[in-house]
Amino acid sequence: EDFFLEEKKFKQYCEEFIKHSQKIGDGWEWRTSKDFADGYLSKTHFQITNRNVPPDLKEKNNDNIEQTLFMHVEESLDDSQVDGVCATAEVLRYEYHVLYSSSYQVPVLYFRACFLDGRALSLDEIWKSVHACYQARLLEGPWDTITQQEHPLLGQPFFVLHPCRTNEFMSAVLTSSRKENRQTNYIASWLSIVGPVVGLNLSLSYA
Amino acid sequence: MTDDKDVLRDVWFGRIPTCFTLYQDEITEREAEPYYLLLPRISYLTLVTDKVKKHFQKVMRQEEVSEIWFEYEGTPLKWHYPIGLLFDLHASNTALPWCITVHFKNFPEKDLLHCHSKDVIEAHFMACIKEADALKHKSQVINEMQKKDHKQLWMGLQNDKFEQFWAINRKLMEYSPEESGFRYIPFRIYQATTERPFIQKLFRPIDSGGQLHTLGDLLKDVCPSAITPEDGEKKTQVMIHGIEPMLETPLQWLSEHMSYPDNFLHISIIPRPTD
Repeated sequence: EDFFLEEKKFKQYCEEFIKHSQKIGDGWEWRTSKDFADGYLSKTHFQITNRNVPPDLKEKNNDNIEQTLFMHVEESLDDSQVDGVCATAEVLRYEYHVLYSSSYQVPVLYFRACFLDGRALSLDEIWKSVHACYQARLLEGPWDTITQQEHPLLGQPFFVLHPCRTNEFMSAVLTSSRKENRQTNYIASWLSIVGPVVGLNLSLSYA
Repeated sequence: MTDDKDVLRDVWFGRIPTCFTLYQDEITEREAEPYYLLLPRISYLTLVTDKVKKHFQKVMRQEEVSEIWFEYEGTPLKWHYPIGLLFDLHASNTALPWCITVHFKNFPEKDLLHCHSKDVIEAHFMACIKEADALKHKSQVINEMQKKDHKQLWMGLQNDKFEQFWAINRKLMEYSPEESGFRYIPFRIYQATTERPFIQKLFRPIDSGGQLHTLGDLLKDVCPSAITPEDGEKKTQVMIHGIEPMLETPLQWLSEHMSYPDNFLHISIIPRPTD
C-alpha cells in the first residue's frame, strides 16, 4: 500500500498540528518562505545540558536521560556543591524545522543547535550532547545517519535525518492505526518517532 | 550535425580557467603566489583543489591552517554546488580567469557546509543521484544497482573518467518503451538574488496531451519572472553549462544530455549583461 504523503495532505496535517500546539502552548509555528510558495513547521527551544555527565548517570540504563540530566542540574543547584555543576552546565538553543520533500514525498526533519553566544554545534557535539542512550538505537534504526545539508528554503547549513526510509517505519504505524480505525495525524506520528532521537519530544496529547 | 553523444563529452570536459589567490589577512611566512588551475565544470571545489591547498600551505605555519574555504567577491562559494553552476551563477559575465580567494581561517558556519574529507563529497554526490532517480524512476534503477556500480559512478567523477562514469550512468538515463520519458525531471533553478537557494518542483517531461514539455514550459510554470513578456526587453539569461539553450528545447532531451553527473539539471537565471 502507498504510504506516500502528498504535499496537500502535508499542509493539512501541519495545520491540524499547529492548532493543537497552540492549544497546549508547546511552541510550534508555521513559517512560509519569503515568496510564500512553501511553508514549514518550526520550533525553537532552549535546553540546559550538563556536559560533565557524572559517572553514576552514565551507567544507568535510563530511557529518559534528558529529563534526568535536567533534574540532576536542578537538584545540584539547591546544593552547596553548586560550583562543579554550574561551571559545566550550558544553555543550548535548538531549532527544529519540518519540511516537505517533493522528491521522496515524505516530511523531513531539519535541525541545528548553537550556544547562547551564537557558536554552532558541530555534528560531533550534537551526537554527544543529545542522545547518549539513543546512539545505539539510531545506528540500528531505519535511517542511515545524520548529515549536514543545505536548508532548501533558507540556504543555511542544518542537520538532517535522512528521509529515504521514512516509508518503512511509517507504514507500520499507519497500518496499525488503520486496523484500529483510529484517526492519526501523519506528522504527529512521524515526529513522535524521529524527534526524540535528536532531543525533540512531543506531548502525548498529540495522539 | 553534431551527434547527441558529443554533447555528453562537451559537458563532461568543460573547463573554467581559474586563478586562486590567498586571502590577504592569512598569516604567511613568505609571499603567496597565485595558483592557476583549469577547473572541471562538472566537479566540486573540494574534490579538485588538493594542489591549491598544498601550494598555499607551503607558505603557512601548520597552526594557521584549518578548514579551507573559497570565496568570490565576498560571497562564500558552496563547495556542494558543481563548479560550473557556481561560475554561471556568480561570474559568467566577467572576464576570465575566474578569480577565487582562498581562506584557511574563520570558516563561515552560517553559510557553508563542512567538508572534512572526500567521503563527505561522495555522500553528497550519491545522495543527489539517489534523489534524481527517485524523481525519474521511483528509485527503481538506482536500487537495482550493486554497490560496485554506485562506486563506479563516484570513481568516474573523481578520476575524470568519462567512459567509466557513463557505463553506469546510461542506465539512469533510460526509460521504459511505454513511457516517453522520465516520471519527473530532476532540476534546480538558481537565482543569486533570492533568499531561497533554488526552486525545485515536481515537473513531468510530457504534458497531458502527450507532447514533450520544453525548457520554456518549465520556466513559465515554476519561475515565470525568468521568461520575458513578448514585448518586453530580455532582462535575464537562462544558463546551463555556460550556454543559453533555446527555450524550445525538450526538457527530456536536456535532462538526458545536459544534466550534471549528479543527474540534476542545474539552471542559472542571471541578469543579462548591459553593454
